[in-house]
Amino acid sequence: MKEMLISILMLSGTLFILIAALGLIRFKDLYSRMHATTKATSFGLLLLVVGVALFFFTGIVLLKAILIVLFIYLTAPLAAHSIARSFRNEDQESRD
Amino acid sequence: MEAIIPETVHYTAFAFLLIALVLAFFRLMRGPTIHDRIVAMDLTASIIMGFILLYSVLIRKAFYFDIAIVISLISFMGTVAISTYLRQKR
Repeated sequence: MKEMLISILMLSGTLFILIAALGLIRFKDLYSRMHATTKATSFGLLLLVVGVALFFFTGIVLLKAILIVLFIYLTAPLAAHSIARSFRNEDQESRD
Repeated sequence: MEAIIPETVHYTAFAFLLIALVLAFFRLMRGPTIHDRIVAMDLTASIIMGFILLYSVLIRKAFYFDIAIVISLISFMGTVAISTYLRQKR
């Protein structure tokens, strides 16, 4: 039962990361590319980290897993926002 | 007691991540602007984190979690540093 749950979590997490890479290669605008990579990658890593933490299932590993998920979900929007703002500045300057 | 993950799951998960790495590498090579390349590098760091997590399950060692923490921190700092540099370059 536990093996099945961990396997499903690991496979779906890696599948989400693969979908993010597919969106990165297929979309034709920087904003849509970031829309694909930021959210899908965060969710895929969440599933993967939860699966690996369920595999080991000790106290320190669960603590580190919570730490990783919290850090990813705090920093991924910040990084995406920073990239988008620098791109937008350049875009507006070239349009003027 | 630890669960035994079938080998097929390991191979499939590693294959998914490898395909994702190749696609991100293509975008890194031929991205039209430098911002596309930064996004591709960010995705590459996440894929490497996934590789390390899967590998820690494969060899059954729990201390590989620390490497995932450090990689996420360094990737965030690098992304913010490059985009801030690009914004203030002009």
